[in-house]
Amino acid sequence: MPVVDVQNVIKKYYRDSQEILVLNGIDFQVEEGDFVALIGPSGSGKTTLLNLIAGIDQPTAGSVRVAGTELARLNESQLARWRSENVGFIFQFYNLIPVLTALENVELPLLLTPLSRKERRERALTALNVVSLSDRASHYPRQLSGGQEQRVAIARAIVTDPPVLVADEPTGDLDAKSAEEILALIETLNQEFKKTIVMVTHDPRAAQRAKHRKHLDKGVLTA
Amino acid sequence: MKYLPYLLRHLRHNWVRTSSTVLGMAFCIFLFCTLSTLIAAVDWSLKSAKASILVTRHAVSLVFTLPIAYRERIAAVPGARAVSPSNWFGGVYKDMKNFFPSFAVDAETYLRMHPEFILKDPVKEAFLRETRGCVIGKDVADRFGWKTGDLFQMESFIPPYRKTNREPFEFMVCGVYDTDEIRYPGSFAGLMLFHFKYLYEGTSQRCGIATYHVEIEDPEKAGVVSKTIDDLFENSDTPTKTETESAFRAGFISLGGNLALLLWFISLAVIFSILLVTANTMIMAIRERKVEIGVLKTLGFTNLKVLSLVLAEAAFLGVLGGALGIFLSSGMIRALPKIPFLSDAVRGFPFLHLSWEGAGQGFGLAVLIGIAAGLVPALISFRARITALLRQV
Ligand SMILES: Nc1ncnc2c1ncn2[C@@H]1O[C@H](COP(=O)(O)OP(=O)(O)O)[C@@H](O)[C@H]1O
Ligand SMILES: [Mg+2]
Repeated sequence: MPVVDVQNVIKKYYRDSQEILVLNGIDFQVEEGDFVALIGPSGSGKTTLLNLIAGIDQPTAGSVRVAGTELARLNESQLARWRSENVGFIFQFYNLIPVLTALENVELPLLLTPLSRKERRERALTALNVVSLSDRASHYPRQLSGGQEQRVAIARAIVTDPPVLVADEPTGDLDAKSAEEILALIETLNQEFKKTIVMVTHDPRAAQRAKHRKHLDKGVLTA
Repeated sequence: MKYLPYLLRHLRHNWVRTSSTVLGMAFCIFLFCTLSTLIAAVDWSLKSAKASILVTRHAVSLVFTLPIAYRERIAAVPGARAVSPSNWFGGVYKDMKNFFPSFAVDAETYLRMHPEFILKDPVKEAFLRETRGCVIGKDVADRFGWKTGDLFQMESFIPPYRKTNREPFEFMVCGVYDTDEIRYPGSFAGLMLFHFKYLYEGTSQRCGIATYHVEIEDPEKAGVVSKTIDDLFENSDTPTKTETESAFRAGFISLGGNLALLLWFISLAVIFSILLVTANTMIMAIRERKVEIGVLKTLGFTNLKVLSLVLAEAAFLGVLGGALGIFLSSGMIRALPKIPFLSDAVRGFPFLHLSWEGAGQGFGLAVLIGIAAGLVPALISFRARITALLRQV
């Protein structure tokens, strides 16, 4: 059974009583342990699809099953809990919380768990270790480079050990060298930590690092 | 609780905004606590005044006294049952900071008219016998450790009440009077009564009578009797003004009902503006943190949790402001008696201090303002959809 199972999904937005059809009948499956790149031009609906998979948006029609759960069946708080346990989200602009240190940023998702303060610190440090940034634990985001910030963000995404990772243009705001480091890290997460990964990108080189590629164009998947 | 560091970090990060909001809040609570303490003191004073007693004084000002001879003439007014002179002595024991109210009275008539001062028979007998005798409230006795038989000296800060030979008056403690809060609410255990005669002789019979307390037969007729008394002296050199004891006190304190109302109105306006300022702070705070709130929700924070975090942050501003305001207010209230001009107005009050109750109300008000201010931004955060929060550009 695929970890991500999107069937017949339609997503419409309404702007000023005008209907925008963003996703038009998407069928999309990702097997456990796979690493899929979603490619497509700007505005084709990549972020929208990723948000549906991550459970932060709902489809207008169709079904989204992720990690064995039909997301439409969950209410708001169940869905929040489900997200905290099942998906890690990596953003294009890192979205670290500026007033918190790297370690505290990584620790943030653990606040929702019953772990003790000490255990939370330990786990957060372990996650920072995975992204080779334990020496920057007490730095604030503004004291880090873009690549480092994204690595902290990745540590935050994996700290609760979710089975699925989604990344929205994770290298979109980085120079070539940092982008390369981030891609290598994501590859490691897939190969060694067995994370199922869906990554949106419009960078062909980034897409090459994935095991599979899917093209999205005008709300329709084309192989 | 584990979210506290997160909240504090935000407040510290925007410390300029945080401290200005906290200062505004503190000012508001300061005003609230100080005013409510003063108004409670006024209320106390009025509550303990009796409607069945009129106070006659000089029509122009308390500074001028009335002739001794007025006593008989007032007593002859229909409806008047008893007349008793009473002078606010304004005595100072060693230092102004020791101040407590002291009155020169005609003991026998005064005590009969004021049953709230409860004297045991031997104490009363000793007091009536002893020329220098005085009775004191429990608070005064405790404050200075005075016991029956102790001698102490006081001098009035009102020049006409000083001895002609320039020595201070010497008093002898004849006992402590009791109060009964149930039968006579508002009775004050912090004053001293001594014989008017002693004052009169000490000043070589030169001081007059500051006030006559007139007990009347029917409180309903207070107006009529007052007018009759004042009419009696209307065209004399020393016209009088007679009013009920509570009206007299309200005038004496110069904080009439209208002033209190005005003060409350001002506090209310301040409270309201601080509410707006704090709400503005919080709205700015969450607008800046749009993406951050989106991230929290993405990470699995429920809408309710995000709402609570925003409310908690706002309430925390209240906690800080409230604590600071209470601190300032208690300092101010303690300092009041030392401030020129103001000190005269508050001197007659019982030990003026910020009560636990008053402080608690101030603190509660601060937290309430904080929460109220956080309500709108909290609801905005609660309702905002993740995708809308995260959308950039
Ligand atoms: N919340 C929204 N309201 C209205 N239109 C939206 C919203 N989100 C996305 N869209 C529209 O949907 C389309 C696809 O957006 P998106 O999924 O972000 O594309 P991509 O990530 O492929 O660039 C765009 O035309 C965008 O303007
Ligand atoms: Mg996008």
